[in-house]
Amino acid sequence: MPPKAPLNWGLIPPSFLLPSSAQSLFPLIPLTQPYPQPSYIPIRTIKSTNKPRPDRFAYDSKRSPLQSSTSAALARKAHSTPLRTGALALKRGMTALYDPETGKRTPCTVLQLDRNQVIMHKTREKNGYYAVQIGAGQKKADNVTRPMLGHFATARVSPKRWVVEFKVRGEEGLKVRVGEAITASWFRAGQFVDVKGISRGMGFAGGMKRHGFSGQPASHGQSLMHRGMGSAGGSQGSGSRVLPGKRMAGNMGNESVTVQNLKVLQVDDANGIVVVSGCVPGPKYQILRIQDARKKPWPEGPMSIAEMASMASQTATTTVTAEA
Amino acid sequence: MATKLTCRRAFAPVILKRTFAWAQPRNGVENPNESRAKTAPGRPWNGDQLYLRLQKIAKQPFPRTNPHSFQSSYITKKRHTRNLIVYKAPESPLKRCTDPISTVHASQISLLDPTGARTRLFSKTNPECARVGDILLVRMRTGDPFSGVCINIRRRGVDTAILLRGQLTRVGVEMWYKIYSPLVEGIEVVQRVAKRARRARLTYMRKEKHDRGDVSNVVRMYLRQKAALGIGGAKGGKRVGGLGPVGGKKSGKGKKK
Repeated sequence: MPPKAPLNWGLIPPSFLLPSSAQSLFPLIPLTQPYPQPSYIPIRTIKSTNKPRPDRFAYDSKRSPLQSSTSAALARKAHSTPLRTGALALKRGMTALYDPETGKRTPCTVLQLDRNQVIMHKTREKNGYYAVQIGAGQKKADNVTRPMLGHFATARVSPKRWVVEFKVRGEEGLKVRVGEAITASWFRAGQFVDVKGISRGMGFAGGMKRHGFSGQPASHGQSLMHRGMGSAGGSQGSGSRVLPGKRMAGNMGNESVTVQNLKVLQVDDANGIVVVSGCVPGPKYQILRIQDARKKPWPEGPMSIAEMASMASQTATTTVTAEA
Repeated sequence: MATKLTCRRAFAPVILKRTFAWAQPRNGVENPNESRAKTAPGRPWNGDQLYLRLQKIAKQPFPRTNPHSFQSSYITKKRHTRNLIVYKAPESPLKRCTDPISTVHASQISLLDPTGARTRLFSKTNPECARVGDILLVRMRTGDPFSGVCINIRRRGVDTAILLRGQLTRVGVEMWYKIYSPLVEGIEVVQRVAKRARRARLTYMRKEKHDRGDVSNVVRMYLRQKAALGIGGAKGGKRVGGLGPVGGKKSGKGKKK
């Protein structure tokens, strides 16, 4: 609501409203009394209308200042945005592979892809960024809401248990068409991937387990305090307060964890198996996101399903052993 | 609300709850009590029969005259998928390959142990297999062979490993060996255990009372016999895996002891 001008109680009404006899008494009253204007310009927004002041600490004369537009933000992130989509996989367990020549043993995790299908494309024009929406698994239609059923039906895919988005850098990442299936040979043996998932939940854990605190001694007169975290900070002189970020007891695990740069050791398209080096977060049957590693050169992997099929036909089951 | 709609549209609801208080006689026959008497005369009341009977009654159209309080007894068919196509899920790789770890193991074992000798030596189905308590000799591609009493077999497919306890310079030593490792050239059974161990892991052998100690004498005897019989080449270093005939002979040796 725009601000109202206050009622002018103390003022004399305009001269044309006064009786003619009184006009002679107040000859100097102007005919039109201007309404008092509010002292500020009302802009209805929750954002500050003040211009941001330059940060005198982050300022670098050699660099151009950061632009705060979305396109500038996307351009900044472009170098670390994968060219193509990833996939969802289930963790199935760990084992080890051997290099027959060197005899080197590599611990590895076996992942299995479960009916990954493209559900939707997100575009810069429509959504503000490029991404591929992928669904995996299976869900009973009875347990899916009607809006989601419509969403799946539009893509001509069955109802999916997990639906996620994989951001891609640009238009070329959308070469996988809606409804197409992404199978294990989307990844090539020898390439590097990042794997992201929810870690095992440990519940409410004390400082010793959660942060590796040392606890207190078992003896030497120690009484009733063996696994506590000890002091949380200094007293008067240090501020008599607990510093922000002080590590304490609390919920441990059950948080998103990304493991970067895992090598793909083996791919079995028929069984949906992708074997990656090392360990990945979560228990068995944990759903995980696999995408090309951001800190390695982008793989020459297939950009579309047709490319994937042609590349997979060249090498049916490929195995690469991890060299040190 | 949903039940009312269903009623107006005259869909046939499926009854999933036991509500026979309102059950209508069909073709003038069915009263639950009567039908029970008919189908099972002289037998005690059986809840299952009643349930089956009610399933038949369920095919009736929705009775509109029922009081509203009974309508909660109906669970109507879910209609939220109407006018929508629900596509059938494709076949799952999880069904096709229920145990991908085993698949990976099989492919690795076929690569690392093409003859199957190592698999056979530690397979539980093989009566001649190596067991805990046996004295085993492991030859490595590089370095000295090691022999000792097998006190643990950790079976994990291609990652299967054995724990040998022996002595080096009169100090008790335990060594883990991965049986499929390409660095392991061969594993031989030197001496079978006289009596089957009644433990899966013979960790009690670490105690002085039960420690087998040095097994080098047994191994030396074995190697001398083997050389005399001319089994497995002059040095025996080229054999991969402890094999059937060798094991059979050694079992005789174990009895002798």
